[in-house]
Amino acid sequence: MVGNDSASEVHADAPMLEWHDLTVAYGRRPVLWNVDFEIPKPCLFGIIGPNGAGKSTLLKASLDLVQRAGGCVRFWGQPLAQVRSRIAYVPQRETVDWDFPVTVMDVVRMGATSKLGWFQRGGKRERELALHSLDRVGLADFSNRQIGKLSGGQQQRVFLARALAREAEIYLLDEPMAGVDAGSQEQIFNILATLRDQGKLIVAVHHDIRTAVEWFDAVALVDMRLVAAGPTAEILTPENLTMTYSGRLSVLDEIGEAVERGGRTS
Amino acid sequence: MIRLSVIAAFLPYNTLVVAAGVAAVGCAAGVIGTFGVLRKRALVGDAAAHATLVGVASALLLTGQRDLAVLLVGGLTSAMVAIVLLVLIRKFTRTRDDAAIAIVLSVSFGLGITLISGMVSRGIPGSGGLERFLLGHTASLTAHDAILLGAVSATSVLCIVVGLKEATMVAFDRDFAAAAGWPAATIDFVLIALVAVMVVVGLPAAGAVLVTALVVIPPAVARQWTERIVPMLVIAGTVGLVSSLLGVAISSVAVQIPTGPVVVLVATSFLIFSVFLAPCRGIVWRARATSLLPSACCEEKDAETTARVVTEQKL
Amino acid sequence: MINLVADSAITLWFDRVGPLHGWAIATAVVVSACCAIVGTLLVVRQMSLLGDAISHAVLPGLVVAVLCGAQPGGVGVLLGATVAAMTTVWSTRFLFRHAGLWEDASVGVAFTTLFAAGVLLITVSGSRVDLDPGCVLYGILELVPFDTVSVYGWDLPRAFVSALSVLVLIIFGVWCTWRWQIFTAFDTDAAKAAGIPVGGVTCGLLIGVSLATVTGFVAVGAILVVAMLVVPAAAAERLVHRLHHAVWLAVLFAAVGAVGGYLLAWRFSTSAAGMMAVVLGVEYLVAILIAPDDGVAARLVSKLVYLWRVQIEDRLASLWRAEESKQLVQEGGFAGLINRWLCVRGKLRKEENVFVLTPQGRMHAELIVRSHRLWETWLGKHVDLPVDHLHPPAEWIEHHLGEQVRKRIEDELGNKDIDPHGSMIPKEKR
Repeated sequence: MVGNDSASEVHADAPMLEWHDLTVAYGRRPVLWNVDFEIPKPCLFGIIGPNGAGKSTLLKASLDLVQRAGGCVRFWGQPLAQVRSRIAYVPQRETVDWDFPVTVMDVVRMGATSKLGWFQRGGKRERELALHSLDRVGLADFSNRQIGKLSGGQQQRVFLARALAREAEIYLLDEPMAGVDAGSQEQIFNILATLRDQGKLIVAVHHDIRTAVEWFDAVALVDMRLVAAGPTAEILTPENLTMTYSGRLSVLDEIGEAVERGGRTS
Repeated sequence: MIRLSVIAAFLPYNTLVVAAGVAAVGCAAGVIGTFGVLRKRALVGDAAAHATLVGVASALLLTGQRDLAVLLVGGLTSAMVAIVLLVLIRKFTRTRDDAAIAIVLSVSFGLGITLISGMVSRGIPGSGGLERFLLGHTASLTAHDAILLGAVSATSVLCIVVGLKEATMVAFDRDFAAAAGWPAATIDFVLIALVAVMVVVGLPAAGAVLVTALVVIPPAVARQWTERIVPMLVIAGTVGLVSSLLGVAISSVAVQIPTGPVVVLVATSFLIFSVFLAPCRGIVWRARATSLLPSACCEEKDAETTARVVTEQKL
Repeated sequence: MINLVADSAITLWFDRVGPLHGWAIATAVVVSACCAIVGTLLVVRQMSLLGDAISHAVLPGLVVAVLCGAQPGGVGVLLGATVAAMTTVWSTRFLFRHAGLWEDASVGVAFTTLFAAGVLLITVSGSRVDLDPGCVLYGILELVPFDTVSVYGWDLPRAFVSALSVLVLIIFGVWCTWRWQIFTAFDTDAAKAAGIPVGGVTCGLLIGVSLATVTGFVAVGAILVVAMLVVPAAAAERLVHRLHHAVWLAVLFAAVGAVGGYLLAWRFSTSAAGMMAVVLGVEYLVAILIAPDDGVAARLVSKLVYLWRVQIEDRLASLWRAEESKQLVQEGGFAGLINRWLCVRGKLRKEENVFVLTPQGRMHAELIVRSHRLWETWLGKHVDLPVDHLHPPAEWIEHHLGEQVRKRIEDELGNKDIDPHGSMIPKEKR
């Protein structure tokens, strides 16, 4: 929807995205502890960590899709509500029903029309924007296909095209490579790299360290808390990876359980 | 106009009124039901329908009038309460959705029966036979009732037509809509509330079970024929309309046969036909497609899958 | 006809047919026990809506059975209903698997169609079927004692006898297949892999449901059978965790619902069936309120207790810090109340209009401050936080650290004495 874009100029030198001591809880139980980090400039940023580490939760909390237990998130130094129109989100592929009766074109148009006001359907401009976005992800020939009749990689590209149609400056992608074959992965990464070169910030939740080294400019290692974050080469060290992947900090689990009860640990 | 009067000359006035009322409900239920079914909440309408009895009884008790509009307002209120209860149960307890629907449905129905039965035994005027409200009274629909049904149906359909973009966006991908700043939870609730309105309004014309059928079956038929939302809405509305009209026609020809069940059976026969014979999704079509590979619908997807497997093997 | 039935029922009530109430109650209890047993299995397998569907869809089965000359309450009717129930389940599955319909929509299509067919059959066959859709929907518990059969010389209500035999059948069936039922309910795929005939188990359960449903018709009617199937089970499921406990509790809930509902209905001269559903609903409400782990009341109480504890501990810790830094302490909200409470608990003492910590209070406060500073140190080590961001999370977590975890954190930090702000970490005193 329409955001207040004029105010953004004031904070021109503020970092594009910053998390201030962000803690997220499901129910009362914290699942992500005290994330504090900022991404100052456009780049291709990966959030990496084991399953259930709270990577997706970090994105969802940034977008107000789950409640925060503490801390805050700022885009260009401003709260989300002010800058929504400059942000695009790509949810996980499994979250939608792919048998839904919409075509590829319909889905991508949703991206364009999601910036319009209530009850405005959009017209020629939105249509062309959608077509252009589809073209960028290489799916222009599929525009009239029902979305269920696509491969996993193509579905993910449709989601990406929908985000592109929002003409955003920050893209938050949740597992864009899940269930995507190697060929499509490279294609998607190329699109993301092009976006970065155009001065956009791309934050993607990712699980494969091998491809992460290859593509991401900077990464954050997350396992219930921020283990380390910074330029990829500096961060993806054996020590950091062991800290992230070799078992939980059982203290966090225990305290989380105590917080949920409202009591004390042993 | 001339044509209308010609039809009127051949059909009894009563049948026309019934046809108009039932057709309005059938058409609107099909359209509204499409989003209910797509959100996988097809039976929420059923729960709302059974919950109306409490409101209907309370309305009679409070106003002392047995006027359709008054009863409908009461019924609508209690149907909304039932839907809010469903939302609350989902939010605050670990009872699963299916059990929650069954609980709200049966307990609110029980409360309604208790109220009405108590009113009957105390001799409160107008309460006799009120429990039949849920069975519908198609044959005794008045012109006044038909106009009311038509107006509410038209308004509900208009809501969907106006808010089509918002409804589709939220129904397809709630998280994306919410991230883009749309009040997804509210829109979702409105979609379900519209189903409840439709079901309550449809009650006098068709009865609880049969109006549930009108919400579920036409969208199911429509889904077999199209892969897009707008045609699906149109087809669902049309199927609802046509089966209602055919149902009224059949029951007006054969005197003994009640309208409601016939409408449902007509709609179901449309469904059976579509499930077997619809292009692409139909069972016969798919059976032929698998035996005569490559066919139009499945060819490209299969090629895509093969390509993917090949790429994966190479790596 | 429904009016006639209702009128006669009410007349009977006012004539005070006292001893006959016993039979009606007994029948209701037996019927609800049948429903509760199979209902629990239905609910844990997330098939509650199928219960709703079956209860509507048995109508055509009943009609066809009666048309073929079966006695109401006899074996023929049970058979017809079971066949109809199986048809519902089969067509639901067919629509879901092979026609690509959504699961709940398939249920909706199947039962509405069968119900419509049933209503149509009744009206078409006219006087040959002595079934009123109203009776089927609302039940006629009040008339149960008047239709009797002779069993070994005893005149027993027909509905009671058939309900009792169905109960025996269900208990026997569930007893024999209990392990399979648990396994299938817990993990269908694993059960299938372990060689359990999952299809057969499910089929048996659904036959049980349709038998219970048909018996329930007589007592409470089609829709309130759904209440008996689902509500006690859903309530029991919230209170206990093991399946056989849930079954027993559900039977208890159902019995209480039946007796309570009947008596209340008698007292307020209204429909017994309706009142039973209401009582069951109240039971469910109570269950979700008092459920021990996730009940609304339990959560509210624990939240309040927690908030109070935080107030107390914050007050103690701030007094302790005031002593440490020789500064005056600022008072928060509820200060008077909190001070008084702490005095009563022996943690504060009033000296010349100023509250000071007693030795006991000082010990408690030290533990809180210790937790706070340990957590700040731990966060400083493990989480990439600037030093000025360490205080707020510690202010929260200080209330949740127990002795052992404090010890572990201390050991991990290598017995550091100073927190990131440069303050001393108090030691644990025993």
